Amino acid sequence: MSKPKLELVALRKDYADGSVPAVDGIDLAVQPGETLALLGPSGCGKSTTLNMIVGLESPTSGDIQIDGRSILGVPAGKRNVGMVFQDYAVFTSMTVRKNLAFGLEIRKMPKAEIDRAVHEVAELLGMADRLDARARDLGGSELQRVAIGRTLATRPALLLLDEPLSNLEYAARLAMRRELRRLQQEIGLTIIYVTHDQIEALSLADRIAVMRAGKILQVEQTTTIYDTPDHVFVASFLGSPPMNLLRGNLEAHGQGMLFRIGQFRLQLPPPRPGMAMPRGVTLGVRPESLQVVPAEAAPLVGQVLLAEPRGPEVVLTVESAAVQLKAIAPSHGRPEEGSLVGLAVDPASLVFFSNDTSHRMELC
Amino acid sequence: MHAKKLSPLLAVVMGLALAVTLFPVFWIVMTAIKPPTDWNASPAIWIPSEPTHINFLTLFDPEAIGAYGVGGVSQSATKAVWGSVRASIIATALSVSIGLLSAIGITRYGNGSKIAPLVILSGRMFPPAAIAVPFVIIFSNVGLTDSYVGLIAIYAAATLPFSTWMLKSFVEDLPREVEEAAMIDGRSRLMAHLTVTIPLIRGGIFATTLFIFILNWSEFMFSLVLSYTNISTIPVQLARYVTATAGTLYGVQAALAVLAMVPLMLMGYLIQSHLARGMTFGAIKQ
Repeated sequence: MSKPKLELVALRKDYADGSVPAVDGIDLAVQPGETLALLGPSGCGKSTTLNMIVGLESPTSGDIQIDGRSILGVPAGKRNVGMVFQDYAVFTSMTVRKNLAFGLEIRKMPKAEIDRAVHEVAELLGMADRLDARARDLGGSELQRVAIGRTLATRPALLLLDEPLSNLEYAARLAMRRELRRLQQEIGLTIIYVTHDQIEALSLADRIAVMRAGKILQVEQTTTIYDTPDHVFVASFLGSPPMNLLRGNLEAHGQGMLFRIGQFRLQLPPPRPGMAMPRGVTLGVRPESLQVVPAEAAPLVGQVLLAEPRGPEVVLTVESAAVQLKAIAPSHGRPEEGSLVGLAVDPASLVFFSNDTSHRMELC
Repeated sequence: MHAKKLSPLLAVVMGLALAVTLFPVFWIVMTAIKPPTDWNASPAIWIPSEPTHINFLTLFDPEAIGAYGVGGVSQSATKAVWGSVRASIIATALSVSIGLLSAIGITRYGNGSKIAPLVILSGRMFPPAAIAVPFVIIFSNVGLTDSYVGLIAIYAAATLPFSTWMLKSFVEDLPREVEEAAMIDGRSRLMAHLTVTIPLIRGGIFATTLFIFILNWSEFMFSLVLSYTNISTIPVQLARYVTATAGTLYGVQAALAVLAMVPLMLMGYLIQSHLARGMTFGAIKQ
């Protein structure tokens, strides 16, 4: 693997009021051409991390390196890092053209080159015919395109996107998401993408880093983080509806183990060779891994409390022995609310978390 | 945008409001062109049958009104007009530029504490009459009474709370990110404010400037207690048209008042497009 484009080393940010660190020792490497999504709830330190990378805030300790060189002493404008903000930060007093040329004029680029770069970016974003429009007359997604274009025009080594789509309407958001995906592929930029929208993260990023309370809980390929979350929080944060997390106890039963919460019981295969059976465990199962089957022969039987249609599928809330589970079933032939259904689950799709550490364990 | 048709009730109410607002203006313009005999005639003369410009002439040639047998005006208004022009323009420029600095400072570089802005505002919590006397004493000790420097200083100081607070609200409405974006693009902090912040709140700056100018232009208390012979302003001069022999020279007062309205109307007209933007400022598109 080549040298990482960006490396964060034990990055930490304390604020003056001193209560909790906003960013609590982050280590992260981003490869050239990679798109990494920083995902987490509000206030988890995502934006602070971006601000430190771009140079708007300075870290309390730790290091930030681009291409192996520390950029801590370099002022914001000279780091060659571009940033797009949630609320666009377009200079509405100027035309689109002036906005796109803004960063280049500061770099004292010859006028002909600026013109060429501006046209190139405008072409890329499909705004070539809007160059002389005043920015204040633009709509939301156009504004965001200008903001992205202004940043791209300076050819940053690294592009930071801070919830760039969250102010857009749904349709515009989908369109911009496609557009970003295309830009990524055409330009091959290295991107760090901050969002609290997991669908956005899943659809745009190569890897996802989930943050909580200033710490990165897990960095993983987008394709695997969904199925194998390392931490209870990651499991509960990814997916809509999120993973069912059942905190209960295990006991040996016949050939395998029995998972219990009160009267709720689920028969499990035996632990892997060499794994001791823990007493307390949190069992995680994705709603789409639960199959609705006839109640008669099912390992789990419950009553449908709620059926929420979502177009082609329906989200069922099923109560079985006082434990509520979400399951996704096809809309076609869905069970009525109040009816009894059976649920089947493939043990291979189950994940287990230690009740002590909240981390995942390879139990069976 | 096209004009909506007014409902009849709204039209009547607005007509009444306009009549109440504009009647004094009408009356003062009429008085300004009345000869002395019509000034306080009874019954009142609404529109003079023989309009005259003698009142305007008298402003700059105090003897002119003598043609109507009225005497006692000793001083030309020239000095007062220039005094007002000079003091108001310079003091407004000072007040707005310092106000802009403090507004940006408080909003962008403050620690979020409300104390500094409140201390600035506290300057307006006393009636001018209460602080006029201490100012006269301080100014006479440092030789600033009866001088434009002193007058400008006190005008700028007295309006600074307003300019700071007005501009502060405009800067607050401007997302901080636009300045950060400019800095990421390579601008220094100062240049980010000059090229991004200030152009974006231009409407607010114009609105504030007009407001502060009106305050300074019509200020009376401070200029009265600080002016003896060297300096004068229009409001002080207005009060001087009360003579021992002919009573109050209403026509001449009205003429000066009409003259004093002109620059305000002109300014208002010139920057009206910015005013609308300034007043409805939330218009920075999110």
